[in-house]
This record gives sequence, C-alpha cells and structure tokens, in this order.
Amino acid sequence: MRSMARRIPYRFLGVRLRLTPLGIRRLENFRANRRGYWSLVIFLWLFGISLFAEFLANDRPICIRYDGRFYFPVFFTYPETTFGGDFPTEADYRDPFVRAAIEEKGWILWPPIPYRYDTVIRDLPGPAPSPPSWQNPLGTDDQARDVLARVIYGFRISVLFGLVLTLASSIIGIAAGAIQGYAGGWVDLLFQRFIEIWSGLPVLYLLIILASIFTPSFWLLLTIMLLFSWMSLVGVVRAEFLRVRNFEFVRAARALGVSNLVIMFRHILPNAMVSALTFLPFILNGSITTLTSLDFLGFGLPPGSPSLGELLAQGKNNLHAPWLGITGFVVLATILSLLVFVGEAVRDAMDPRKTFR
Amino acid sequence: MLLEVSNLAVSFRMEGRIVEAVRGVSFSLDRGEILALVGESGSGKTVTALSILQLLPYPRAFHPSGSIRLLGREMVGADEATLRAIRGNRVGMVFQEPMTSLNPLHTVEQQVSEVLILHRRMSRQQARERVVELLRLVGIDDAERRLASYPHQLSGGQRQRVMIAMALANEPDLLIADEPTTALDVTVQAQILRLIRDLQRRLGMAVLLITHDLGIVRKMADRVCVMTQGEIVEQGPVSRMFEAPQHPYTRHLLAAEPRGRPPAVRAEAPVVMEARDLKVHFPIQRGLLRRTVGWIRAVDGVSLAVREGETVGVVGESGSGKTTLGLALLRLLPSDGAIRFAGTDIQGWSWKQMRPLRRQMQIVFQDPYGSLSPRLTVGEIVEEGLLVHRLVRSPEERRERVARILEEVGLDPEMMDRYPHEFSGGQRQRISIARAMVLEPRFVVLDEPTSALDVSVQAQIVELLRSLQERHRLAYLFISHDLRVVRALAHQVIVMKEGRVVEQGPAAEIFERPQAAYTRALLAAALDLEVAEPEAVSG
Repeated sequence: MRSMARRIPYRFLGVRLRLTPLGIRRLENFRANRRGYWSLVIFLWLFGISLFAEFLANDRPICIRYDGRFYFPVFFTYPETTFGGDFPTEADYRDPFVRAAIEEKGWILWPPIPYRYDTVIRDLPGPAPSPPSWQNPLGTDDQARDVLARVIYGFRISVLFGLVLTLASSIIGIAAGAIQGYAGGWVDLLFQRFIEIWSGLPVLYLLIILASIFTPSFWLLLTIMLLFSWMSLVGVVRAEFLRVRNFEFVRAARALGVSNLVIMFRHILPNAMVSALTFLPFILNGSITTLTSLDFLGFGLPPGSPSLGELLAQGKNNLHAPWLGITGFVVLATILSLLVFVGEAVRDAMDPRKTFR
Repeated sequence: MLLEVSNLAVSFRMEGRIVEAVRGVSFSLDRGEILALVGESGSGKTVTALSILQLLPYPRAFHPSGSIRLLGREMVGADEATLRAIRGNRVGMVFQEPMTSLNPLHTVEQQVSEVLILHRRMSRQQARERVVELLRLVGIDDAERRLASYPHQLSGGQRQRVMIAMALANEPDLLIADEPTTALDVTVQAQILRLIRDLQRRLGMAVLLITHDLGIVRKMADRVCVMTQGEIVEQGPVSRMFEAPQHPYTRHLLAAEPRGRPPAVRAEAPVVMEARDLKVHFPIQRGLLRRTVGWIRAVDGVSLAVREGETVGVVGESGSGKTTLGLALLRLLPSDGAIRFAGTDIQGWSWKQMRPLRRQMQIVFQDPYGSLSPRLTVGEIVEEGLLVHRLVRSPEERRERVARILEEVGLDPEMMDRYPHEFSGGQRQRISIARAMVLEPRFVVLDEPTSALDVSVQAQIVELLRSLQERHRLAYLFISHDLRVVRALAHQVIVMKEGRVVEQGPAAEIFERPQAAYTRALLAAALDLEVAEPEAVSG
C-alpha cells in the first residue's frame, strides 16, 4: 500500500532521511541520550572500518607497480611468474625473493598491518607467543599470528554473525509471535507448549554433538543457533498482539473489510515493533556472546578462523602471555558495552511517555 | 468556614516546560453544604480537588500561589503527619472508577476496616461491627455476607457504595466526590446520587461534588463553581446559574445540551437493514473437554428494520446486549436469525462474500482514543477503506477524497498528516466518522459515539450526524445509554434489557407514553435523575 503520510527531511548521523514527525521525535530522544548516541557513532565507525579489514591487515599488498603496470593483489591472484619468479603458483609477497624481484622494477604498497589473520610470521625475534613490539602492536599468539590482525577480522566476523543471527531470529520470532497472538485459541496454546519444550532442549550439548558430526562453518553454526534463538522475541510480540487485537481500531479495520494479513502488518505490528526494537541490541549482544563462548570451548567456527573466543582460550592457555587475554577481554568488553549503551538509547527513543505529550 | 480555598494555582513541570493547570481559584464551603465544581475535561476541576488533600504528584506538581484552609489548618505545604491525620479521617474521597479504586485482592471488610483501624485504632471485632453498620448505611443488602466478597464479585453500583462506605467510615466533615457516577448506568447513577444526598443530610457533612453533568448539578448542589481552562469563571447559587448565567462559557455550557428532533423520514423510503428474531448466544464452557454447560444470551430474539434516512435508537444499560446487536447486524459476530441487507439475506455469508458489502455498512465506535490506530496518520486512517475496496486508485485523487470528507465532518483537511494523539476527543470522533463516511455507506452503526465526549462536543457531534444523515439519506442504528442524545436523533427506539427487547416503537411514543415499567424507570433516571419504582430496576 502506498501511504500518503507527510514526511519531513531529517539528518541523522549524516544520513538524509525522510521521516514522519513521530520518527523524528524518536531520533531526537535517541540523540538526547548522549552516551548511547556516541556509542552508536563509535560502534558504526569500528564496524565500518572492520568491513575493510582486507585493506587494513593483509599479507597481500594493496597495489604493486611492476614493469610499468599496476597490479592489485588484494583483488586478484597473480602467479609468481608474473613478477619474474620460477613457480606458476600464487606469489608469496612476504617472500624476500619475490619482494626483491618486484622492488627491482617498481614498488609495493602494503596495508598498515602486513599480516592477515592466518599469516604465520616466520621471522619472529623470539618464540611465539611474542610480546607486543613495533611489528606486532598487540603481540602474536601461540601460532605466531599477529593478534591485532586477528582482532580486526575477529571483530568483523563476530558482529556480522551477530547481525545476521539477530535479523533472522527477529524475522522468525516476530512472525511466530504475530501468528500466535493474532490467532489466539488453540494455535496459541499448542505453539506455546511447543516453544516450552523446544526451549527446554539443552542447546550446548546439541551444538557439541552436531559439531562432532558436521564440520562447523559460519552458516551451519548460524543455522543451528537460529533453531534456538528465534524464541527470544516471540513472547513480547505475542503479548502485544494479544493486547492490541481486541482494540477498537482493529475492529474498525475489520468492519472496513480489511484482510487479516493487512490488519496484522499495518495496524498491529507497528505497535509490537516498539518492544521488539528495544530488544534488538540486547539480542545482538547475546548472539555475539554465544558465538564467543562456543569458540572459547572449541565448538565454534572452524579452526584457524579469526575469533574472539579463540583468542580468549589462548589467553587462558598462555597465562605467561597476558597480552592475549587482556586484548580479548578489552575488545569484547568494548563491543558489549557499546551495544548495551546503544540499547539503552533505543529504549529511551521508543519510550511512549517521552514521545507523546 | 469548613474549607476555604483562596487564589490557588497548580502547575506541573513537564520536560523542562511548566504547564499551568489551575490559576487563581477561590471558593469556600461550609458545613452541610453541597458545592459542585463543574467543567469539561481538562478544566482543572479534579486537580483542584486533589490539591485539597495534597494528593498531587509532588514535587512534579507545585503551587505557585494560594492557600487551602481546611478546618482552620493550612494544607498547602503541610507535613505528612498532618495530612495523614486528615485524609480518610476528616475528609473522605470517592473516585470515578469504582473498579480501579478498590484493591482487587482485598475483601470488602479489609478495604473498609483499614481506615477504621488506622485512624480510630479499633480492634478487628469493633471494626467489623462498624463495617456492617456502614454497609447497611450505604444500602448494601445482606451486609454480613458481603464482608467476604472481593470487588470483582460486586456490581458497579455496589462497588461505588463500598467506596462511599470507606469515605464515610470516620464520619468526615467533608466528602469529596470526583465524578462519582460517571462510570455507572443511569438507574444506578440515580440511586447513588440519592444515597449521597441522603447521607449528606443525615450526617450534616459538606460535599464537594466534581462533575461534568449539569443535570447532576441541578439535582444535587446548593452552590456551583463553573471551571474552564483552569479558572473559575462563575460561582453562585445553582438556581441563579441556571436562570441567569452571567459568563459566556456558562451560557455556552447550558446551551450545549443536545436538542432538536431528527429530520422526517420519507414515507416511501426503502428498508436498508432488517433483522428477524436475531439471536447471539455465547457458550459457557467448563472443564477439561470444554463442554458447553450453558449459554449467555447476549441478544435474544431481536427484530428490527431500519429504513433509508431513519435512525433506530437502541437504549439500555451496560450488559444489555446493545453493542452485540450492532456487531451481529454487521456480521462481525456469528448469530442466528435472518439478517437482510437491502433485501438480500446475508446471514451465513462468508467473510469473503461479505467483503464487497462492507463498504455499504459501517460502524463508529465509542472510544475515540481506542478506535484510531495510533501509528497511522489521520489521512492513512481515513483512506484505508478506499484502499481496501480499491475505489480510488491514484494517491492524489485519494488525498482529495480524504480532504473532502474531513471538511464535511468539520475538520481542517490540512490535519490529515497528523497523528491521532494530537487531537482532542471530539476531533477524534470526527475522524472516526470520516473513516466510516468516506466509503459512502448506506447503513451505519453508531456505538455510543458521544458517550466519551464533553457535553458541548456531544451536541456538535449530534448536529454533525444529523446533517450527514439528511444529506446522504443514511440509515443509522444509534446505540446509546444517554437518552437525551437518543431523543435528539432517533425516529424509532428499542429498549433492551438482558438481551431482550423490553419495548420498541416510535421515539415520540416511547418518550411520552412509556409502557413497560423498566422503560419508565430508565427515563426517570436518565432525564430527571430520579429513582422510580425500585422493583423495576436491579442494580
């Protein structure tokens, strides 16, 4: 349905939006919570930067000028023979031979951190894990990989995982809650009992068993966790639907001949969205924590992937290398605090007592 | 002088702004006197009453000026101990909503004896005896047995009687009654008013009566203060106010009572909506297997016919099945019996079959706050019917149609981009009417469309409904408990009680020569606030 509501241009975080007056009042309430607002700004910057992790921390140069031509190893794979090497395999730009060969006829532009999350540094001054130094600002882990590079990639994968999981479980949860609340009666009764049984399943054991049958990957892990995380929003949305479906405006819509689907989405859902949206940052937080704890236990992402949980596990196994544990702790604490602050601001923004009158 | 309020002002701090609710209010009240504080919603009458007992949410609320002297003591800024000694002891208070002002987890005995034990330090046994005495005083029969009842086991009238018993427990010098009968049915209202008057005479106390109903003022009060926008604009003896009102607002208020008669119906007007022996029965289910053990007969054998341009008024007290009847006619509730719309029997039609007919039969609800989707703009609310029935395709044309209908119901079309909460109750009711009218229906069910509104707004809405009917030859089913409004609108009247028709016929005849005892009691209670033939009324 094309709506004809008046919309007013409004700038938020530098983005030009066209919003209803209610939306604007919400965003202004959000902004009034300074801590939450700045947490969102910082979080968006960190997340935005981490999306370009390949340009920030990589064992392939961003750009190579060789023999009068430009090469972009970040995007393309070039065999060693391109740069006058001997093998038709991919060039190893960290190899002193290759490097010397290229620099003879041009130059190399390296990212600020010349390591990827899985780059094993072979020329460390001491045994791995090595303490922070100019080459490795946060030190290396016990497999001689740069911790800063792993943190950048790990942050990205954690947040992405959390976002996808939150989005998917919100869609399923809201739909399930909406159907239950709107239909009521037997549908509601049976569905609620199913949820009670389903939420009684021991998730961690299931994950451990499944992890031993399948090789865990990002998407498999996401699917398994989604099986259990969609229930968090059902209760709120269901309650809201049960409450609102008896309001007179819903009855008025039925008297107009509006179909059930439209009533659910146009008339009731916006009311339920307030409580659902308020929950989102906290669900995101929960998703990140769950992934981290699985990684910490070793049932998470496949071995070798950058992950904050694995960093924490290393910190626990290498107490003589405190930079591992401290880094893991600081990064996690920062993400989680930022998101909680954002969540508080969202709650303020959605507070009807602040919005109306 | 028992109570002396001079130059009282009340302000509220709201998000950095200061809202003045009451300004420069002065009045006094002597023993044995009934003073009425009249005004429409938002006039500051309740705030004034609450500040006497300092019950406002301090420090968010504060008094920039003024003094309240009660029994010779200054109340503004008095300490908690002084206030507690007066509240519930020297001054009793009765609130509007008897359901929410009683604690649902306390029995009647616990509720009423609390003030006795608190202020008089009575023992349980003494308190019990006094409670029984009080319950008898306020006219609750079988008082001993009622001691163990919980509020939900009492009817609205009984609950209000318990509230009054609580307020009177310590024989106060002053009773503050804040809209004590607004939430009650008319016959119960008449009983409660008579009770308050009798008790006031017997106990010689003063009553501060807060109300929006001029009928109650005329019936009850010795003196009256008219409030609007936080100020008292006129005060004096009741007779003078009704005979020679001084202030324009008082005159406006007096003129606002719904009046006039409905326009005549053409003799050859066809019947639009017809029902024969309509029944709506809800099953009462018990036990594990949900066996049906009985039926609630919400509507039991009602027959009616509404012609084009005609209004059929349905009157009755709450629970009489008025609203159920309206919903069943629109096929929003399952029912038995024939329903004929424009000559076609639509009983048993599926939701899909009904859909095209929906645009010709519409409904306007009572609650102007609950019946508009809070998250849609006024324009979106009004245009929804056009969208559903695909009547107007282009958004520009739709906007124009919405603008035209908003103008017709007396709203500025510029308002269509605002949200419902920005409007007053009367404006919201106009929006509801616009939503129904934009589809150009033939039959409209009006379910108490004026009950939640102030009197002056009520008259305007009645006027609007009448002019819409005249212009579009609409057929109305007008459901109301307010007989004054029904008299101004209806051609035919159906009096309902417990799902059945008590009396049915032309409006003039029913109002002039009511046949059934129940109808007579209803008319006496509603129009003269009198309790007539108590055996006809159960409440």
